[in-house]
Amino acid sequence: MNLLDHAFTAAFAMLAAAVLFVLYRLVRGPSVLDRIICLNALSVLVVSFIALEAGLRGDTAYIGLMVAIGLLGFVGTLTATRFAERRAHDRD
Amino acid sequence: MTATDVVTAVLVPLGALFTLIGTIGLVRFPTLLNRMHAATKPDTVGLLLIITGAAFQLPDVRSAAPMFLAAMFQFVTVPVLAQTVGRVSYSRGMVDSERLVVDELEEAVRTTRDDD
Amino acid sequence: MTEGMDTSSAGASTSAVTTRSAGMRLLGRLPTVLWLTLMWVVLWGDPSPGTVIAGAVVGSLCYTVAKLPHIPVRLGFRPWHALRLVGVIGYDLFRSSVHVAFHVLWRPAEVRGAIVAVPMRTDSDFLLAMVSGGLSLVTGSLVIELNRDQGVIYVHGIPIESDGAVDRLRRQVRRTEELFVRAFGTAEDVAEFERGDLGAQGEDR
Repeated sequence: MNLLDHAFTAAFAMLAAAVLFVLYRLVRGPSVLDRIICLNALSVLVVSFIALEAGLRGDTAYIGLMVAIGLLGFVGTLTATRFAERRAHDRD
Repeated sequence: MTATDVVTAVLVPLGALFTLIGTIGLVRFPTLLNRMHAATKPDTVGLLLIITGAAFQLPDVRSAAPMFLAAMFQFVTVPVLAQTVGRVSYSRGMVDSERLVVDELEEAVRTTRDDD
Repeated sequence: MTEGMDTSSAGASTSAVTTRSAGMRLLGRLPTVLWLTLMWVVLWGDPSPGTVIAGAVVGSLCYTVAKLPHIPVRLGFRPWHALRLVGVIGYDLFRSSVHVAFHVLWRPAEVRGAIVAVPMRTDSDFLLAMVSGGLSLVTGSLVIELNRDQGVIYVHGIPIESDGAVDRLRRQVRRTEELFVRAFGTAEDVAEFERGDLGAQGEDR
């Protein structure tokens, strides 16, 4: 194990902990918007994981996925937020 | 151990740390807007640092370019999400006004109502 | 100093909209198609002629199928100011992330926020959109509402520890606006901005 391996291990561990925190807030809520934020944070975390993986292995195979997942996460979050907004207006 | 390895070894854990602290904020902040601040923006900084660090390990610039494209999309999309969530949470009254020092939007809304 | 170039394409400002020729319409769409082609090439990671041509074809097809509206872009571009803008936003992003990170770890329950109303000195739609995007990108500031008629934006900011922090937030908003106008505004936008700036200073006194 050299310094670089330790750095990647530490980064993976921190991101894994981050996923746990996000999941906690995702379950706790309390509002829809909280959960929407959490889902977006999860998609960013997945992109980060892929970037780490690419850096660790020097492997470029999954890099296209980063763009795709990032954009899907964005569109999904935006749609969910709009939906939450519409629901709020309907209730008024 | 080359110079690029050192750069990676510094940037990658730093980026992960930013992301981690952001998500800790997501758990610890008591109000929705604060949670939103903590969950979206440090994540983006963290992602940029991780991508920059990881790019130093890739064989050439050509394979690293799509990663920076992903980072760029993140930078373009985060403000849109933040603004949408902010507006919806304000209009749904989910902003905890006791934790605001000043709220000039509320004042503006009130004056418009008084005019009617 | 670099002079602002008016990159408004398709000459939409001068020629009457109805008499715009097909060639002019094509020219107006060129930047978007070029941009899409560039994205395509970057994604493939391979700038060979075949990729470029395929990208141009796919880009034009997407443009046609999506029927994207053609909005005349009226922006200038000053490289030096744009570089300054990127530097300042990057610095703001990093500094405020560290600042918020500190508050995450140290008594997050006591963090207060504020929503301030800041009158904008520019009236360009593009610039206002850019300013609110730039502000929302930075940790701890977020545009909640934009009153287009009065030209006022409402910005939520954390952490607010004192009255000084509210003023700092206002200053940050105004500085971001100035940077965007100087980097991407046309000559008219800059002139209008400076008139508004003088007016605002007069009110302060």
